[in-house]
Amino acid sequence: MASAADPAADQNPRDAEPRKPTNEVEAEAEVAEEYEEDDYEEEDEEDEQPDGPAASAAEREKIRAVFQRLSSEQVGIRVHDVVIKGNSKTRDELIEAEVLDLLRAAPTIQDLLRAASVATARLRQLDVFDAVKITLDAGPPELPGTTNVVIEVVEAANPVTGTAGVYSKPEARSWSLEGSLKFKNLFGYGDIWDASGAYGWDQTTEVGVGVSLPRFKSIPTPLMARASLSSQDWLKFSSYKERLLGLSFGLLSTVNHDLSYNLTWRMLTDPSRAASKSIRRQLGHNLLSALKYTYKIDERDSYLRPTKGYAFQSSSQVGGLWDSKGLKFFRQEFDVRGAVPLGFFNSALNVGLGAGVILPLARGFMNSSSPVPDRFYLGGHSSPVCSLSGLSSLLGFRTRGVGPTEPRRLVPSESDGDSSATPGRDYLGGDLAVSAFADLSFDLPLKLFRDAGIHGHAFLTAGNLVKLSEGEYKKFSFPEFRSTFRSTAGVGIILPTKLFRVEVNYCYILKQAEHDSGKTGIQFSFSSPM
Amino acid sequence: MASVTAAEAAAAEWEEAARKVLVARKPCFGLPTACPTCLPVYVYLRMAQVPFDIDVDTSFPDADHIPYVEFGDCVAFNNEKGGVIEYLKEDKILNLNSKHPSASSPDVLSTKAMVSTWLADALQYELWVVSDGSIAHDIYFSDLSWPIGKILHWKKARDVKQLLGITKLNAAEREEEIYQRASAAYDALSLRLGDQTYLFDNSPTDVDALFLGHALFVLNALPDTSVLRGTLQKHDNLVNFAEHHKAQLLESSSSGLGSSSDPSMSSNPRKKASAGRSYKPKPRAKKERTEEEKTFRRRAKYFLATQLVAVLVFLSLLGGVDSSELEDDDGIDYED
Repeated sequence: MASAADPAADQNPRDAEPRKPTNEVEAEAEVAEEYEEDDYEEEDEEDEQPDGPAASAAEREKIRAVFQRLSSEQVGIRVHDVVIKGNSKTRDELIEAEVLDLLRAAPTIQDLLRAASVATARLRQLDVFDAVKITLDAGPPELPGTTNVVIEVVEAANPVTGTAGVYSKPEARSWSLEGSLKFKNLFGYGDIWDASGAYGWDQTTEVGVGVSLPRFKSIPTPLMARASLSSQDWLKFSSYKERLLGLSFGLLSTVNHDLSYNLTWRMLTDPSRAASKSIRRQLGHNLLSALKYTYKIDERDSYLRPTKGYAFQSSSQVGGLWDSKGLKFFRQEFDVRGAVPLGFFNSALNVGLGAGVILPLARGFMNSSSPVPDRFYLGGHSSPVCSLSGLSSLLGFRTRGVGPTEPRRLVPSESDGDSSATPGRDYLGGDLAVSAFADLSFDLPLKLFRDAGIHGHAFLTAGNLVKLSEGEYKKFSFPEFRSTFRSTAGVGIILPTKLFRVEVNYCYILKQAEHDSGKTGIQFSFSSPM
Repeated sequence: MASVTAAEAAAAEWEEAARKVLVARKPCFGLPTACPTCLPVYVYLRMAQVPFDIDVDTSFPDADHIPYVEFGDCVAFNNEKGGVIEYLKEDKILNLNSKHPSASSPDVLSTKAMVSTWLADALQYELWVVSDGSIAHDIYFSDLSWPIGKILHWKKARDVKQLLGITKLNAAEREEEIYQRASAAYDALSLRLGDQTYLFDNSPTDVDALFLGHALFVLNALPDTSVLRGTLQKHDNLVNFAEHHKAQLLESSSSGLGSSSDPSMSSNPRKKASAGRSYKPKPRAKKERTEEEKTFRRRAKYFLATQLVAVLVFLSLLGGVDSSELEDDDGIDYED
């Protein structure tokens, strides 16, 4: 983020240009009232346009001098005032609270520029403005070396925005129709109300309404509340359908910390009546009342193609905070990533390690079972490099295609020709899961590819998961766990686009267990960058 | 290939299953399972002297597939083929009536119809409409968290009312009708039973199981004030019938569930090993057909994917250049 400021300034020398020179010129003409000053400034700007070639050459010279100075030394500056314009509905407090401290804290012009770019980004992130423009203006004449920061915002002309589209989820091999309606800034607190719906052909359906507040009074973190009704179809993989009616609250959300509470009525059904015994035992109603805390650091240089830095994420979830009858479990996940540049062909080595464990919290907890939807699953084609919850991806294997399975219900029928007559297996997920990957990304020789960001990679992924609950922990042995790791190797080409990242990979399954659904061959994977 | 019918295959599976499990609602009121739908199945299995275990399901009170019986990888659900008992009978797994002299008599059938409609309706009415809900709560909802249990209870009560056709206007009328029918049914059953141990010819049928399940629930779970219970108690022989079998089936069994009876006693000795697994070819034939389909689909998928990738490559190669334009308004103005 910080780096964005400088190129931006370089790109727009016209905007940044009259910093020093006019500071002196304008000093005499400065008027106490700010709006007048603004008028003056605009005129000034217009005046500058039709200058002759000589003047423009001098101008350019000045700019160069300014840049010279800025690049060679730190120029001290003090923010005298911050002026906010263009907010008819949005409260000043909101904008001030978002950016004031940041801007005031900058001791030098360079820092201020950086701060301004961060501030712009922050205000944009509020998602209630069409445009945000921060201008550094000269301070009052009697105070040299000061500046007034002018924040100009353009509020969204139409507070209602809607989106609709058809999205594909190649992992689940289905399409979904999604639409959402947003009411922005209804009360001027940067509040965003949204109603959204998604319909996927026999996959997921979701409707939800939510409100999010970037901050509430003196609480400096975004608050979020959301009610949603959704259903998720896992019939193909695990013979159950999940219906969720829930309320979720985002309680704390900063760069590193995230705390949320979830109260959900979860219903598992099996319309196919083909579920295996373990799944059958879990069907029914449950109340999930869980607190989830996520700690995250991401110091990598890019989400799409990290070449340097590291990332860490830990998320803990405790279920069963309602009454003695709800779902009670503790779920912990760790994820570590690192990227090292290798110095040739712009290549970099990415490595990652993820681990997760879920423990039912009940009397005789090691003998009770953990809830199926909360267990860990490996498999799926999403890239392990981008997402930071990469425990789940194991390239080369189908979604949920690894780990403990159980035969589905056998329907000994002849006349009944429906699909349940061929019992497959249900993937049950694991209570302990570990996955790791190493990924070497490199530039392709063609310049055309390099310009478009298309690059190649070679990877190695491995993962394993086991069941620990229902007394299975007694059978757990570390050497066995190590020896049953599933692994894949492969090479592929990555096409990062603005919308998502496409990977075309050739995966070779090095090792898989009996009922795993790994397949050697070409795979396409689409993942959204975030 | 097709010499083995589905029913025979199921029966073979039943014979081979080492452990049979009845999944039912939880025990209450001194009954092994306190649900009027599960109890007859329990009684039926006990009458057939099948060793089985019982598992309790507490989280799905509104499911119609409970009770169910698991044997091997097979399951007999309550919402398939007319209920568990019918499922077991139809698949020739466990048929109490088969040895019965008067099994096919219209009497058995009409009695069954009477028990499973008139008496069942009356019981539903008592359980969901008349009572204050505490009995139903104990049986079905006590293990669910607060709002869920309440909502499901309310929904179920409403559904029962709808099913029985009770509205505010005809409530009294319907009540009278329901009790009248129940009373008539009890009279008929009492007459039928006389002083025998079973309803028909001194040997058990599925009707016995159905009625016994009903009677045991009425006598044990319903409160003293219950009209239905009062009506049933007027018939001494029916009450004795229930008490007698309760002592025999439920109480004696509690000690040695699953071990007491000899497996060979299961009423329908079926040719087992000979049946083998030859009921599988059918699915395989089906698979072959889908195999072709699968390859076709896979090819289609690859085709589509490559098309998509081609488009994306095109877009990113040609469209990637002008991406800098987008950055534009991110810039910072510095003027004065």
